[in-house]
Amino acid sequence: MAQLSDDTQTPQGDTAPAALPGDGLREGIVDTLRNDIGEALLDTLLKPNDDLWVRVSTESWLATGQALKAAGFTYFCFLSAIDWMPSPFGNSQDDPDDEPKQIDMTIKQGYTGGETRMQVFARLTDIDRHVGITVKADVADDNQVVDSWSQLFAGANWHERECHEMFGIGFNNHPDLRNMYLPGDFEGYPLKKDFPLLARMVKPWPGIVDVEPMPDFEEAADAPAAEAPAGAIEGAES
Amino acid sequence: MTLTDRQQLSYIASQAADARLNVELETEGMTLNIGPQHPATHGTLRIIARLDGEQVVWAEPVAGYMHRGYEKLTEVRTFPQVTSLINRIDWLGSFANEVPFILAAEKLMEIEAPPRAQVIRTILFELSRIANVSLFLGDLGVQMGAITPVFLAFRDREYILNLIEGATGGRFHPNFDRIGGLKDDLPKGWIQETKGAVKKLEEFCDTIDDLLFGNEIFQSRMRGIGVIPADIAKDYGLSGANARASGIDWDLRRDQDLPLSYDLADWKVWTHPDGDSWARCWIRLQETRESCKIVGQLLDQIPAGPVMTKVPRIIKVPEGEAWVATENPLGEMGYYVVSKGGLGPFRVKIRSASFNNISIVPWALKGVYVPDIITILASLYFILGDIDR
Amino acid sequence: MGLVDKGRLPAPLTKLFNLSRSYSLWVYQWGLACCAIEMGAAFGSPRYDVMRLGVIPLPASPRQADFVCVSGTVTDKMAPAVKRLWEQMPEPKYAISMGSCANCGGPYWDSYSVTKGVDQIIPIDVYVPGCPPRPEALLEGIVLLQQRIKNEDMAAKWRGDEFTTLQRTRAMEAGEVDREGELISDTRSISDEPMPEVAAAHPEPIVVGGGPIE
Repeated sequence: MAQLSDDTQTPQGDTAPAALPGDGLREGIVDTLRNDIGEALLDTLLKPNDDLWVRVSTESWLATGQALKAAGFTYFCFLSAIDWMPSPFGNSQDDPDDEPKQIDMTIKQGYTGGETRMQVFARLTDIDRHVGITVKADVADDNQVVDSWSQLFAGANWHERECHEMFGIGFNNHPDLRNMYLPGDFEGYPLKKDFPLLARMVKPWPGIVDVEPMPDFEEAADAPAAEAPAGAIEGAES
Repeated sequence: MTLTDRQQLSYIASQAADARLNVELETEGMTLNIGPQHPATHGTLRIIARLDGEQVVWAEPVAGYMHRGYEKLTEVRTFPQVTSLINRIDWLGSFANEVPFILAAEKLMEIEAPPRAQVIRTILFELSRIANVSLFLGDLGVQMGAITPVFLAFRDREYILNLIEGATGGRFHPNFDRIGGLKDDLPKGWIQETKGAVKKLEEFCDTIDDLLFGNEIFQSRMRGIGVIPADIAKDYGLSGANARASGIDWDLRRDQDLPLSYDLADWKVWTHPDGDSWARCWIRLQETRESCKIVGQLLDQIPAGPVMTKVPRIIKVPEGEAWVATENPLGEMGYYVVSKGGLGPFRVKIRSASFNNISIVPWALKGVYVPDIITILASLYFILGDIDR
Repeated sequence: MGLVDKGRLPAPLTKLFNLSRSYSLWVYQWGLACCAIEMGAAFGSPRYDVMRLGVIPLPASPRQADFVCVSGTVTDKMAPAVKRLWEQMPEPKYAISMGSCANCGGPYWDSYSVTKGVDQIIPIDVYVPGCPPRPEALLEGIVLLQQRIKNEDMAAKWRGDEFTTLQRTRAMEAGEVDREGELISDTRSISDEPMPEVAAAHPEPIVVGGGPIE
């Protein structure tokens, strides 16, 4: 048989883009996006040499995707939603025998803020420049519909189907919005915070139960290092 | 001998009768249902294929037969409980599932595991990759009808499972990673055992190379089948060996700056320009060999020190959001962790590799023959827990 | 098998049939999730070889199988398929539930899409706990199933009654126990020898470095 096509060499470190001090790469990305969509770029969060978050207006969700794809973010990572309302059933970490604590139901969004209970968010990656971006957009409380990215990124089709069945968010121009995982007769949107887990209603988890008192962890952390002689540590270099 | 008129007429009449029959017999498409329980699908995946003769006109996977609701379950569990649960997403290479989640939590807490823990984490990560892909190589034979390689795969995989069990206590689902390091240090003699086991796995790779990849039947069934061009692969978000087989030079171990010790070893990333089923399988074979090399090199470079930084006994991760993705055996697996300062996460979005890998199946299966459905699925390689979470 | 129909199968013949049935089981591998890998290791790997017990893991369809080993999480979407495949299996059939997901829902006990235990759908004979159970644990489960089959009363199974052992049927015929009464002989014993006699007086436990335990 003919010999196989040759494999590529691992690129050396200097051909990968170096992050300038202050992370010029990500700042450049934000500037390009602002040039493209202008006022629709509502908020950004840039952690230098770490990661980048942007929030855009709901109407410009599709335009943002197009702008980013044109800017080099051709790899579709994922698309989903976040429900920022705290769960009214608690997160079952308290002892059920205690009296139920008052749950603070204020909706507080995370990075790059927001104004609504639900947000869609997506992650795109630029493979050539080794950088990724997380894009968020609010979903209006009274009209939970955003534009679909399925014409732009073919992989978004399945992700939007899953987002729709888990959160109830509609997607305009999606070719085929039916259930991905759940059987056809399932009622409710499971990942919304007001969907209860019935098994935990019936039999609550006993909470964080301390089985036995632990020693003071300062002593415990120092003691093994003092006991083990240097030679006994497996595979240690001198 | 010349035919008489009568014989000629009867011949023409029979031809006309046949022609009329062919016109009246319209062939209809047949709907073939593969799965959900089928030995060739790696679990409960159901493919509905509409056939015209032997060719597929339209095919669609129906997922959800293993949907266990992970993202909802993580909201009511603490961080250590979530760690023990997410082992079971990609159930062949279990340790690899914990690592991106723990790294995301450590990123939010702004701590790093000590160097010894990082190197051991990387070694266990690569061992779980070898365990996962060696089963894939064995299963590859079963998809074609060759039954022997899977016995070899199970036998050689036992060496790796023994090692993981020796270090962590569980053959798979080790639940060994902790925020801040590892649960425990390595037992005595583990490093020598691992070196021996890695040699055996390299021999296994050579055996599979001879048995399967050199086999003429295997090559004719895999070469040129299921070609996925690079831009379609990026659109769908294919990752891991599937993307590299289409020529995309993207490996999260090399292209990212995570506190894992891949830079201590000398290894290379394999790509292939063809993008067909053969390329995907071949890349996985080469990656297994590469993993064996990485493990062998890292075993000599484990530094001394603790395996756990100082973290409080009950961990509350501060408020924030973090995204960490690693190069898991199946592809790019990532966790988007949203924390509100509690004992457990507020929302975890699990980006699993097989979900994107299988979303390309409706596109890839148009116009292929029925036996090729199985080989294309085999080469894309998915685990149901990874698709359905 | 007219003798089985009429319920007049002599005991030595039942014993012989039970013995041969238990040592030539064909298992349909209903492997769903992670336990399927351990089931594969138990059935397919040369190390935890299940064929030495007489169990052949190779039937191509449930219609040729003696028992089914349900391993892995059963979701509500999958449950009708499990039921249908169970109904396709011919009698006499048995079921082993392997792993904690199949036993009771396991780590996903609170999920909205998981069936909390496959015994809600099909009747189970042996439960093998673990997450995942080691291949040796599954082999012990199969050995327990074999013991169960060896003790079984085939006529009762043919009639569709609940599981009954030979000892119990004979005890009922001899008038020693009624329908709901206590079993005289232990269902787990393989022979019908009388139970060993308990020693009359317990010896004192030996406590190293101390006296008798108060």
